[in-house]
Amino acid sequence: MKEKLNEIREKGLARIAGTQSIEELIDVRRELTGQKSELNEVLRSLGRIDPEQRKEIGILSTQVKDLFAEKLNEKEEELIAAKSVLDEPIDLTLPGTAVEGGSLHPITQMCYDLNDAFLSLGFEVYSEDDISSEKYAFDNLNFAPDHPARQSMDTFWLDGTEELRGSDRLCLRPHLTGGSVRYLLKHGAPARFVYPGRVYRNETTDARHERAFFQYEALIVDKDISFSSGKVMIQTILEKVFGRKINVRMREGFFPFTEPGYEIDMECLVCGGKGCRVCNHNGWIEVMPGGVIHPNVLRAANLDPEEWTGFYINIGLDRLVMMRYGVDDVRLFHSADLRFLKQFR
Amino acid sequence: MKVSLNWVKKYVDLPETLTPAQIAYDMTLRTVEVEGTEDTGAKFHDIVVGKVLEVKEHPNADALRICIVDVGLDEPKQIVCGGKNLYAGEKVVVCKPGSEVFWHGLPELVKIKETKMRGEPSYGMICNATEVFLDKLFPPQDDHIIVDLGDLPGEPGQNIADALGLNDTVIEIDNKSLTNRPDLWGHYGIARELAGIYGVPLKPLPEFKADPSLPAFDVTIERPDKCRRFTATEIVNVYDKEAPLWMKVALMNCGQRPISAIVDITNYVMMDVGQPSHAYDRTHVEGDKIIVRTAKKDEKLLLLDHNTIDLTEEDLVICDANDAMNLAGIRGGAKDSILPETTSIILEIANFTAQTVRHTGARFNEKTDASIRYEKNLDTQRVDQGLAVCLQLFREIFPECRVTAFADVYPVKTEQEHIDVTQEFLDVRLGKVLSRETIEKVLTGIGYEVEFDNGTYHVTVPVWRSTGDVSIKDDVMGDIARLLSFESFEEQPLTVKFENSVIQRQETLERRLREYLAYRCGFNEIFTYPWVDEKFIRAAKIDTDKCVRLATPPSEELAILRSSLIPGALESVAKNLRYFDYFRIFEVAQVFEKGEYHESSEDEVLPVHRKLLTGSITGKDPAKIFYELKGVLEQMAAYCHMENFSMEQKEQPAWADRNAWLNLTLDNRVIGSMGLVCVSTMNDVKIKRTNVALFELNVDSLKAFASRTNEFRHLPLYPLVEKDLSVTVDKAVTWKAISDAIGSRVKELEFIEEYHGNQVPEGKKSVTMRVWIGNDDSTMTSEQIDQKMESILKTLHKRCGAELRTE
Repeated sequence: MKEKLNEIREKGLARIAGTQSIEELIDVRRELTGQKSELNEVLRSLGRIDPEQRKEIGILSTQVKDLFAEKLNEKEEELIAAKSVLDEPIDLTLPGTAVEGGSLHPITQMCYDLNDAFLSLGFEVYSEDDISSEKYAFDNLNFAPDHPARQSMDTFWLDGTEELRGSDRLCLRPHLTGGSVRYLLKHGAPARFVYPGRVYRNETTDARHERAFFQYEALIVDKDISFSSGKVMIQTILEKVFGRKINVRMREGFFPFTEPGYEIDMECLVCGGKGCRVCNHNGWIEVMPGGVIHPNVLRAANLDPEEWTGFYINIGLDRLVMMRYGVDDVRLFHSADLRFLKQFR
Repeated sequence: MKVSLNWVKKYVDLPETLTPAQIAYDMTLRTVEVEGTEDTGAKFHDIVVGKVLEVKEHPNADALRICIVDVGLDEPKQIVCGGKNLYAGEKVVVCKPGSEVFWHGLPELVKIKETKMRGEPSYGMICNATEVFLDKLFPPQDDHIIVDLGDLPGEPGQNIADALGLNDTVIEIDNKSLTNRPDLWGHYGIARELAGIYGVPLKPLPEFKADPSLPAFDVTIERPDKCRRFTATEIVNVYDKEAPLWMKVALMNCGQRPISAIVDITNYVMMDVGQPSHAYDRTHVEGDKIIVRTAKKDEKLLLLDHNTIDLTEEDLVICDANDAMNLAGIRGGAKDSILPETTSIILEIANFTAQTVRHTGARFNEKTDASIRYEKNLDTQRVDQGLAVCLQLFREIFPECRVTAFADVYPVKTEQEHIDVTQEFLDVRLGKVLSRETIEKVLTGIGYEVEFDNGTYHVTVPVWRSTGDVSIKDDVMGDIARLLSFESFEEQPLTVKFENSVIQRQETLERRLREYLAYRCGFNEIFTYPWVDEKFIRAAKIDTDKCVRLATPPSEELAILRSSLIPGALESVAKNLRYFDYFRIFEVAQVFEKGEYHESSEDEVLPVHRKLLTGSITGKDPAKIFYELKGVLEQMAAYCHMENFSMEQKEQPAWADRNAWLNLTLDNRVIGSMGLVCVSTMNDVKIKRTNVALFELNVDSLKAFASRTNEFRHLPLYPLVEKDLSVTVDKAVTWKAISDAIGSRVKELEFIEEYHGNQVPEGKKSVTMRVWIGNDDSTMTSEQIDQKMESILKTLHKRCGAELRTE
């Protein structure tokens, strides 16, 4: 009987070891431990065995049974671990399925980035309409009556109004600054707002010049503030765009609607200020004009310049986007060319 | 403008340690933008004075000579040269090996090497003026005339720049940054500014005093509103000769070509004090008188370049007793020009208003060194400076000359501005308290007179800045800030009062719309110009009578400003078809239409502005892209948190296919349209072998929700039963008819698909839908389910003629 049990054990273990699949294992389990298994037959025959041997055989058979259960479970785990949901291995180097997404225009993206930064400082976002009169585009802004920018070689005047004057002479706005007076007339002071938008100049286009381009202007009007507070706005813009603090310098500049006016240069990011072709070898790149709002502009906005002051910052978005991505032709922005636009996710 | 540092240093002793780069930087930060500096002597390295000792025939070439030249070395050198004007004893310019010159018209510099020419060794090169950057100083006649230094200074072997005094630093200033500073358009003005920046004294100019014993010259100013001052000085005993070397070099370094002593003096004075002047040949001034007047009707003027211009009655001209001699402040006429035979002159130093010079200059498209200065608005007192410097130079260069008559007609004088600036104003606006001493030093350094009394600075503005440049206290504050450098004022924090948060619903809505289309729906945002090629406007069948036009458009076919975004969308689709066969694009922009609209004030009448949004899907299968676009519009309101619009047919857009269009309506008003682009429009813009589904809607008409308005619905307490249902109906039966019929009978109804084809009878279609049914208070039994489905089918049969489809 002992020999029989040994034989059952050895045969059974070999059978488990040779099992290839979960399905086969179910059969093997039935074969080895089921009702009709040899081991079960031994167990059922225990009553008929010599009582002296019974105890020993009983212990032995139980040991075999437990061993089978243990080995079967081990084998099952092993087989599950070896399983795959795939019928066969796949090429892991094939490209993944493309995500079909659209995109905002890179200038819109830049504009929204800046809006987020300025909204966090409590600025409002304002937009003036694209068509303006000479009164708002020039007169209010302290441009001299015969300032060259008023000529039709600089500004797109509307047909039928080009010979008129002031509020009757209409144009595609040549800059955003006219909007500042519109806002102040409507909302008064104190005020802090940004007004991004497209502006238009009648000029010959090339890789660096466009007839339609985007500006981003910010204005604060308040009491008793110094022009040096304007530096905060400058830092806000540049940190937002380039993700880190950028060295800037403020230098003399002149604009009819500011006094004093200044130009802001940023350190050239290509050469780190050492001087290279991009920065014309002087280490600095002109990025934005700005200045203290001229008293005559405040007067045009019905504000008393003795009481109020403020400052502008204006930045060319096209130029900034070009620097952000290394775009070398400004005309691409209005090209509607998807080969270009799809690059900016 | 080019500024010579040597010239500036005649008027101001700058600290020795200052480098040109530092000067350029300081000027850029405080005064004007410097574009670059040039060491004018650098390019003359290894170019020296040579003395020709002997000239011999070249054995192998008729056109060449062999010269033995002393170039300051131990031994004379042999140089082969093709010059025609070679002679023994001639002082010439020699390029030694290593020097870099322009060689026979090549664009790049060529390095000189010792070589052999036709078998004869040649040490270097004896040069003509063009080859060694001296063409302004020695006007070239032809390539074979080499520079003959004559009795000019210089020893053999001496560097040519050292010998002729060509070493200088030229500072190039961006003219645009000078537009508001008439005082800086000459070296004296720049010297004054540098004296102010570095706190060093400025040397005075010679003073002009009119000699009362001189006979008066007859000058009349008819238009004092255009000519504020006119001086005429008659000078005799002058003649045609070259200006002295120092003057020619100074002019050359500033980019001027020396012409003759008389003309060069007038140019030099202009570049010295910024005051233009003009010399007339005395014999050409007929009738012994000068009249400053506007031109007569049909009057013509023959210019120096022999172009005749038709004057207008607005143009100011300088005339003698008979006719116009020159265009005031802009350009001389042929009649008055200085000739080789000129021996006496009338010197004009005058003041013309900026406006008259600018208008006339623009009319005839003339811009000269004189006119760009007058256009900046010069002070009338500068005429005195011009006269003083000019007469001193005439005496120096023509010692035998005499002034024989003089006139100074001076109807309008530039008055100095007086401005009061309080200490408190400066403290606040500068953001920094400056001492009285600092403020006074800065201002007096550039010519202000300052008196301080009881907290107020009484400032007298120098006359050269009283030209509109400095007129209010802010200008004075600006001068203080820039001269101390904006950089020296520390950043100030912005202190603001927060009263409420920034809420801008329309602004937010517009951003949501763009982000929805780009990030949820796979559209790419495009920008197009507001002027659109008429071809696309016509293709979109837009009425151009209502459109606004440009007076001077970029080109003829681009005169119309858009009244719709559709033409631009069509153009963009046509462009991209070359590279993509399926794409989605959108644009948000303003469009314009004739009309009346007041944005800010009643006096300003603007055309009507509307902000529109257009989007399109381009693809081969028209029905597919139609439903895709419809889906985008159906979901828009929910994602963008705005009031939903309906889609129904009200008025067919002109560009739309007759079978596939819908209007977008809000409160029964049409706010936009969508549809497939019709065949004729596509033909007109050459969109071929594809289809375009398009929408356009008015963003201004959309109503943003104040907050999100989604509502929570309880999850069903008892499970719903999901059933698919396929029915055949007449082709004319719409989905709307089906959903109207049974929509209220089920918990949910979803369209699955529609099928037309040979599996269904002629004139019929099959519609598959999915319904969810359930009880509110119990789980449905199978009998209830069967009953409900049967009843739904019955309704569908009754209302839509539907039959259950059997496979």
